[in-house]
Amino acid sequence: MIPAQFDYVAPATLDEALQLLADNADDAKLLAGGHSLIPAMKLRLAQPAMLIDIGRIKDLAYIREEGGQIRIGAMTTHYQLESSERLKEICPLLPETAGHIGDVQVRNKGTLGGSLAHSDPAADWPATIIALNAEIVATGRNGERVIRADDFFVDMLTTALEPGEILREIRIAVPQGRTGQAYTKVPHPASGFAVVGVAVNLSLDNTEVCQSASVGITGAAAKAYRARGVETALNGNRIDEALAQTAAAQAADGIDLNGDLYASADYRRHLVQGYTRRAILKAIAQAK
Amino acid sequence: MKITGTQELRAKRERVWQALIDPAVLQRSIPGCEQLEKSGENSYAATLRAGVGSIKGLFKGNVRLEDMRPPEHYRIVVDGKGQPGFLKGAGDLDLEENAGATIIKYAGDVQVGGTIAGVGQRMIEGAAKMMIAQFFTALEAEAQTEEGDPPPKHGFFRTALRWFSGWLHRVFRGRAQGS
Repeated sequence: MIPAQFDYVAPATLDEALQLLADNADDAKLLAGGHSLIPAMKLRLAQPAMLIDIGRIKDLAYIREEGGQIRIGAMTTHYQLESSERLKEICPLLPETAGHIGDVQVRNKGTLGGSLAHSDPAADWPATIIALNAEIVATGRNGERVIRADDFFVDMLTTALEPGEILREIRIAVPQGRTGQAYTKVPHPASGFAVVGVAVNLSLDNTEVCQSASVGITGAAAKAYRARGVETALNGNRIDEALAQTAAAQAADGIDLNGDLYASADYRRHLVQGYTRRAILKAIAQAK
Repeated sequence: MKITGTQELRAKRERVWQALIDPAVLQRSIPGCEQLEKSGENSYAATLRAGVGSIKGLFKGNVRLEDMRPPEHYRIVVDGKGQPGFLKGAGDLDLEENAGATIIKYAGDVQVGGTIAGVGQRMIEGAAKMMIAQFFTALEAEAQTEEGDPPPKHGFFRTALRWFSGWLHRVFRGRAQGS
C-alpha cells in the first residue's frame, strides 16, 4: 500500500500545468481529487513518474450560470454538486447523481473533472453527463476545444482528451420547461461503484407528450453509452407504465455487455432494462 | 475467464497465417508488446507493457504455439507474471477463408491472479476485449501488405512520431547545409 517513487509538482496556473504536462508527456499524470488515481498508485497498478497536482490552481472549482448554460469547473467536488441548492432547483440530476457516488470521504475529495477524465466504466457521472447532453471543455497549449459528451468516452479508462490537454470545464444547457430527471443505480455492495447506473432526462410539453428524451447508461459496458433505442421509443409519445416497459427493453440493444464475478452479462442486461424502466417512471413522476 | 469471438479480417488467409506465426509481426500487433524473442521451436519469450488508461503493468512471460495446422489452426499457450499479477491461459485459433477475406474464430480460457485480479476484476474482461480488438486491427493491417512490403504503421502516435523525426531530420540537415 505504498506507492512507487514519484515527483510531485503543484503549479499555480493552468499555463504552468500545461507546460509541465507537455514537458513530461510520457510519464506524468494530473492529480485532481485523487480518489481513483491514488488508490491505483498505492496498489502500484499505476506508477506515474510525476504527479501534477492541479488542486492549487485558482478558479477551477465553481458552479456558474452563463449564457443559458450551467458551467462547472473541473475541480468541483462531488459534494459541492450534491449540496448546491441552485442545482437542486434547475438541474436536480446533478446533485442526485453526486449523492450516489462512493462515500462521504470520496464525495468530499473526488471531483467531477477527475472522474470524467479517469473514465472508469462503472463511474456514475458519465451516464448523467450523456443524459444531460453536456459539453466538455479541454484546454491545451493551442487553446481550447469543446467535446460533446457522446464523443468524450472512447473506451474503458480512455477518453477523447489528448495527452497534453487538461479538462477545464463542463457545460450543460439549463433545462427549460417541464423537465423530469432521474438517476437509478445498483451499487456494488463493496465498492459502491455502479454495477448498472441509468440517468434519464426528459422534457414534456403541456399535453404530457415527451418532447425529448435523453438516456445515459453506465456500469454495463466498457464505457458509458447513450441508449438511442429507448430515446426513440419515448420521443413524441405520452409515457405510461407500458411504454416505459417496452422502451426500457431496448436499453441494452446492440451493446457488448460486461461480465464479472459479481454480475454476468445476462444479469447486467436484466438490470439495465429494469433500472431504465424505473428511471423513466421516476423522471415522469418528477415532471408531473 | 472464457474468451471467445469471431473476427473477420479483410486479407487472404495465407497472409493472415504468415502474420500469425511471424514473431516480428506479432510483436508489432500485440498491444504493449515490447519484446518477443524466439526461445525454442515455436516458443517465444515476451515482455509486455499491458494496460488501459493510467493502469499499466510490466509482464514477462512465455508464448508457445502448438498443434499447428497451416493455414487453418493453431493453439496458443501463454503464461506470464509481473508486478500487478499473473496470467495463464490457452486458446485455439481457427482460420476460415471467406470470399478473399479471413474469418478467425478464437476460443480460450485465461486465469488472471494477483493484485490486478483482486481489485481490477470488474475491468479484466473489458480490458481483454479492448486489447483483442486492437490486436486484430493491427494484424489486419499487417496481413494486407504484400510480402516484402515495409510494415504498416500502427496508430496515430507512431505516425506522428515518424513524421516529427523526419521533420527534425530535414530541419537540421537544412541548417547544416545553410551554415
